[in-house]
Amino acid sequence: MPLLEVNGITAGYGDSEILRDVSMTVEAGEIVSIIGPNGAGKSTLMKSVFGLLHPKTGSIRFDGHDITHREPYQIVELGMCYVPQVANVFTELTVEENLEMGAFLLREASLEDRKARIYDLFPRLKERRRQRAGKMSGGERQMVAMGAALMLDPKLVLMDEPSAGLSPVMVSMIFERIAEINRNDGPAMLIVEQNAKLSLAMSSRGYVLAAGENRFEGTGPGLLNDPEVGRLYLGG
Amino acid sequence: MTTDNSTIATGDEPPAQERVSREGATGNSRWPLYIAIIAIFVLFWVFGAINGKSTTTMLNLTVEGIMLGGILALGSVGLTLVYGVLKFSNFAHGDMMTIGAFVAFALMQVLPGYEAIGSFSFGWGLLLAMILAAPVVAALSLGVDFALFRPLRRRGASVVLLTMASLAAMFFLRSIIYLIWGADYHFYYQGRANPAMQLPFGITIQADKLFILVLALLMVGLVWVLLERTRMGKAMRATANNPDLAQVRGINTERVIQWTWIIAGSLAALGGVMYGLASQVRPEMGFVLLLPLFAGTILGGIGSPVGAFIGAMIIGVAFQLSSAFIDPTYGPGVAFMLMILVLIVRPMGLFTMGGD
Repeated sequence: MPLLEVNGITAGYGDSEILRDVSMTVEAGEIVSIIGPNGAGKSTLMKSVFGLLHPKTGSIRFDGHDITHREPYQIVELGMCYVPQVANVFTELTVEENLEMGAFLLREASLEDRKARIYDLFPRLKERRRQRAGKMSGGERQMVAMGAALMLDPKLVLMDEPSAGLSPVMVSMIFERIAEINRNDGPAMLIVEQNAKLSLAMSSRGYVLAAGENRFEGTGPGLLNDPEVGRLYLGG
Repeated sequence: MTTDNSTIATGDEPPAQERVSREGATGNSRWPLYIAIIAIFVLFWVFGAINGKSTTTMLNLTVEGIMLGGILALGSVGLTLVYGVLKFSNFAHGDMMTIGAFVAFALMQVLPGYEAIGSFSFGWGLLLAMILAAPVVAALSLGVDFALFRPLRRRGASVVLLTMASLAAMFFLRSIIYLIWGADYHFYYQGRANPAMQLPFGITIQADKLFILVLALLMVGLVWVLLERTRMGKAMRATANNPDLAQVRGINTERVIQWTWIIAGSLAALGGVMYGLASQVRPEMGFVLLLPLFAGTILGGIGSPVGAFIGAMIIGVAFQLSSAFIDPTYGPGVAFMLMILVLIVRPMGLFTMGGD
């Protein structure tokens, strides 16, 4: 049974339908990319999976639970975390407090071990742990956002455009970290990405969305080498 | 709360959607503003002196202002928390204070401890009544939220609509007060002497008012510790800062909102009782406080409890000092003039919490 199973969902805001009959799966430990042109519904799919938007039809199952109509805080509890594309840190809170909020659902007396693990992954954050997240650079904010999402030791991490607005050096650094987090029994990752080539290269599987519908699916390398996908969505 | 206004620049580019922080937007420090406020107070002293008031009188007015600031602070801290987390100006807050004062008044009739403690005019009965009134007002706040604000939130009501709903709640609560207690004035201790203590520099102050100030300081300190050190407090700041992300992080924002009402309601009850002690218990008391409360809250920076405390102090002192040279009726005008001056220089107020 897949870890995440999206079954023919139709979703949108108000009367508009952004997604039509979209299905996909993520197995435990996999990296899966969703690519597609702007306005294809990639972010809407993420929001539907995470309960920020409830689908009108279809169902979503995660780790054996029907989460179609659950709220985000209930979904986090089941072991799914989300790194939004924008406004993904608490700007008025310190780096350390941002991490603590990532583990809000835990009632543990001490989060030191968990924080130490994140600081090992992103040493830059340890240096700046007392700094307000709002005063950090875009790359550092992305680290804070990822770190906060990893505090709960999730089974699945959703990442919306992790490379958006970052310099090329930062982009490769962030992608290296994503691969590193995923290795050795790490969480599965579902990544929505504009930088389709980079994302597919590290993914075990990928989906191409276009105009709110499933268009292609296949292995990461398979989609990368597919001439039609290349021509239509990877810029030749 | 930092005073550092420099934005840290590092090698990588900020995200395209990045907004300049509100502090960064003006790029100026708060110190010129503090100096300006002190200068205005000095000017008030000079006006007072021209009007024939002695230094001792002015000193006493300042002390009175600080005490008034203590009462205002008990209200404005709750008001600012509600604004920070729920994003609307709660016009019903003043009447929450009134209800706190009346509930304590009712409880005192059945509680023992009428005799005065030491130099204070009040007895244990009042303190006990105040402590019991806090959960009553907290529960009432939760009830109003459940019946009124929560359904509106669920339907995605705009801030303007929520503010108007709070105005409706204000009139509704006032009607309940009139219904139960009538329009009469009441005193916690009818006709009890409340002699002033003599302090150095010719300052005379009633012990009650010192108690009010200590209580306000204690409560603001408590709220600060709660917000900075506890899990729920940090979640409140997180929710104020970015409610969508708070949900994403697994924070039950409805629970956060409930705690916000509990704290705001409890503090409102304490503030109401203290105001009732310093003046008298009457149905309009909370409404009279409402405008100075807003002034203090806005002055301090909406959403910041420390700012609300300092804002309340400034408004309290401005109120009292101005009475040395103009009719006290114009006190609110002076307080609001000060607020407008501050906002022109620093539109975000002295301090800020929340807002992304």
